Amino acid sequence: MIASFCDWLSATALSITFQETSWFVPLVQTVHILAIAIVLTSVAMLSFRLIVMSSETLEQGLSTDWIPWVWSALVVLLITGVLLTITEPSRELLNLVFRIKMLLVLVLASILMIVQVRVRSDKRYWTASATRQRAARLIGVTCLVLGACLVTAGRWIAYS
Amino acid sequence: MPIRNLLHDLQDLGFATSIRESDWLFPTIETVHVLALVLVVGSIMMVDLRLLGVAYKRRPLSALIAEVLPWTWSTFAVAAVAGSLMFSSKAVTYYDSVAFRIKMVCLLLAGLNMLCFHFFTYRNVANWDPDRHPLGAKIAGAISLTLWIAIVASGRWIGFTTT
Repeated sequence: MIASFCDWLSATALSITFQETSWFVPLVQTVHILAIAIVLTSVAMLSFRLIVMSSETLEQGLSTDWIPWVWSALVVLLITGVLLTITEPSRELLNLVFRIKMLLVLVLASILMIVQVRVRSDKRYWTASATRQRAARLIGVTCLVLGACLVTAGRWIAYS
Repeated sequence: MPIRNLLHDLQDLGFATSIRESDWLFPTIETVHVLALVLVVGSIMMVDLRLLGVAYKRRPLSALIAEVLPWTWSTFAVAAVAGSLMFSSKAVTYYDSVAFRIKMVCLLLAGLNMLCFHFFTYRNVANWDPDRHPLGAKIAGAISLTLWIAIVASGRWIGFTTT
């Protein structure tokens, strides 16, 4: 079914226009990479704060000022990702590595949402006890690993 | 031409040949390069957008730079090492690539821009209005942002033209 959808999509006028415009894919991929840069750096900054709780964090609670930019960048990633998929549907939708990448995005976004919601209700939530601090460190490490796996999966789509 | 001979010698070295001929070594090094590069670009974009007064306005500039700069430098070092390994595997091809040359020129200009900013403009940061940065800072941020976008774009262009 997905293969049929890919065949149909790649034969649409929009897809053919994108395929035949030599600068389109490089331009969209560049924007995609810039948005990934914002997401990944924000995730790295937040993860570091979760893993290494500074005295400021312990006193004043966790700051999540990096996270809102992640949501904006994720919207850009969604738009550019859809454009790239319209251009080459089979390359994305029939690719196992692409599906893994999408799963990683969902998991990472979910974790960030949980962190942000907790902090909004109580800025000191993640620093309130030794148990929560340990959980915060685990979340930080998990986010770093997920971010690295995301970029790896994104690169390996081209090789798979 | 001496430089082309040197580059031929470089890409004929054992490690360079291994990278070029391996199914997994070049893609792995490239992945490390991309991972490091997105962190370099992301951290620099954060500072540039702050200088322009567009984003991250809740944090004082000096605090943002202090938090971000270690990431920028450490990941730049990783990107440079990985990039050098990739270059060595196909040295002549990359040397001849217009996209590669543009990327290197933009990197050099971005470095010079950063040095000028840190050694001249940023020296007076204590006197800046936190809500309105001086024109020199905004210009530095705009130049930096433009150059790093060009670096990402030319890096993608290399991928399309040197496979």
